[in-house]
Amino acid sequence: MASKTVAKDIITLRGSAAIVSEFFGYAANSILYNRGVYPEESFAKVKKYGLPMLLTEDEDVKSFIANLTSQLSEWLEAGKLQRVVLVIMSKSSGEVLERWNFSIETDGEVVEKGESREKSDKEIMREIQAIMRQIVSSITYLPCLDEPCVFDVLAYTDKDVAVPFTWMESDPKLIANPQMVKLHSFDTKIHKVDTLVSYKNDEWDDQ
Amino acid sequence: MEEAQAHSILDPETEFLASKRQTGNEWELFKENVRPLKRGRKIDVLNEALKSHSDKEIRKSLHDQRRKLIEAIDHYEGDDPLQPWLECIKWVQEAYPPGGDCSGLVVIYEQCVRTFWHSDRYKDDLRYLKVWLEYAENCADAEVIYTFLDVNEIGKSHALFYISYALHMETKHKVKTANEILNCGISRNAHPVKKLEDTFRKFLARSMRMPKTRDEDKDENHLPARSFGTLLAKGDNSKRTAESYDQVKRKQKADRAPLAIYKDKNTDTGLDHQLEMPKKGLNTWQTLGGRADRNKENSALPSKWTSHKIPQRPGQWVGSTTSGPIIEVFVDEECPQSGIVREKSSTLQFRQVDNKELKKETELLRENPLRNFPLNSLPR
Repeated sequence: MASKTVAKDIITLRGSAAIVSEFFGYAANSILYNRGVYPEESFAKVKKYGLPMLLTEDEDVKSFIANLTSQLSEWLEAGKLQRVVLVIMSKSSGEVLERWNFSIETDGEVVEKGESREKSDKEIMREIQAIMRQIVSSITYLPCLDEPCVFDVLAYTDKDVAVPFTWMESDPKLIANPQMVKLHSFDTKIHKVDTLVSYKNDEWDDQ
Repeated sequence: MEEAQAHSILDPETEFLASKRQTGNEWELFKENVRPLKRGRKIDVLNEALKSHSDKEIRKSLHDQRRKLIEAIDHYEGDDPLQPWLECIKWVQEAYPPGGDCSGLVVIYEQCVRTFWHSDRYKDDLRYLKVWLEYAENCADAEVIYTFLDVNEIGKSHALFYISYALHMETKHKVKTANEILNCGISRNAHPVKKLEDTFRKFLARSMRMPKTRDEDKDENHLPARSFGTLLAKGDNSKRTAESYDQVKRKQKADRAPLAIYKDKNTDTGLDHQLEMPKKGLNTWQTLGGRADRNKENSALPSKWTSHKIPQRPGQWVGSTTSGPIIEVFVDEECPQSGIVREKSSTLQFRQVDNKELKKETELLRENPLRNFPLNSLPR
């Protein structure tokens, strides 16, 4: 009897950390492009996750994100990363306008015992694809950012993590009374990533 | 990069994530039906609204909700009568994600602006200005609205007015006008000034890149741009005969333009006239007359036509007691006027009209946004 089985791939802790940190790099680029934080011309198209994705060509932003993803990967492998938030702020006033919140649940057993898990790579890719599509579609409800903006990245880790050299402690930069939209999540079976975007509820009498 | 320690009190995002509540996915499923709003949308309202297009129950509740908001406008007793209008407008925007003619959005913009246009209190109110600007965006030609705002000094202290106005003129290729508008705003110190200056800089950069424009004479705003007859009369440029009509037209306008462009920005008295508009006859915009005067078209009794005589056809008159050249127009005093009621604050309109009427009125307004304004307030 012919049966269709989904080929499962072996996922190690290191592999999973790589998938998640890579995802974050691409997601950050996509957000910066779609929300107009940097000009369109400064991005180049590549293929990833079966989609045309945009990556910045700006050297500073590139290296910022590269440092970021390698640090995230380290924390993910140690099972210490709880959340990563990309914050978009007004350049002139510093007000937080949007937060892209990626929350991570780690399978503690894997970290402790060095086990591996099984899941189809394709399926993980499909899940990531769905999130990327939602990021692009979110123009449907997000307010227009018609002023120059800057971004920053916050990482929430376990308390016992030492603050690395290029990072500093910060307040959470929350939005008061935000509108929040939960997007899709993806799961490597070792790390589960939930995505949420929160934005400022724009009132009619704002400038 | 910054690292934050996890807090014991849950922030709204953590709380939301932990709660396992889901956001509906209607927004994504029906994203083609959603007109993005500059100010963004509330996600729950959006999802509900999108559901309604397939659900009679929800559609009925939308109808009821609209009625409630209109009643709130009618019964408001506080000191900011614009507020309930804004609530209603915001709701219509969110409840009808695609916008469109049946939403009544354009109609309510119009009613709102018409209610307060003569009010000093809201002349400088940013919220009120924004309603006007949204209305303008929905019309076939917003220029008449911007002119109206300018003459009536609505929003003149806000950078947003000049930015929107200039952008509109720019899209009509009236770059010189756009330039003057932005300059005017800057000289009037419209706030936030920095935003205005940034916009101006970007505008200049864009206009450097653009090819020389082919129009610009403001006095000919509403006239078609043909003037073959005068071309040959001007004989001061021998090259003219060799050039195409287009180039000649451009040159001709450029010859006239210098008179319009330069304004001495240093004199204070000059400021109010920086924005050059056809000034003749505009005093009529500023006087409104009393309410009775404004509504005279609705309350006037039919009377003899004094200016135009229509030759009478000799023949039988049925049902008329008077003979002679008087044509009496029959007015049924008891019949409620269908559609547009202008006596009250016209919010009654919503209850009486149906979707078709809303659509029709919307179309009419798009073509002629000031059509309901009293005749003596419009530019000649």
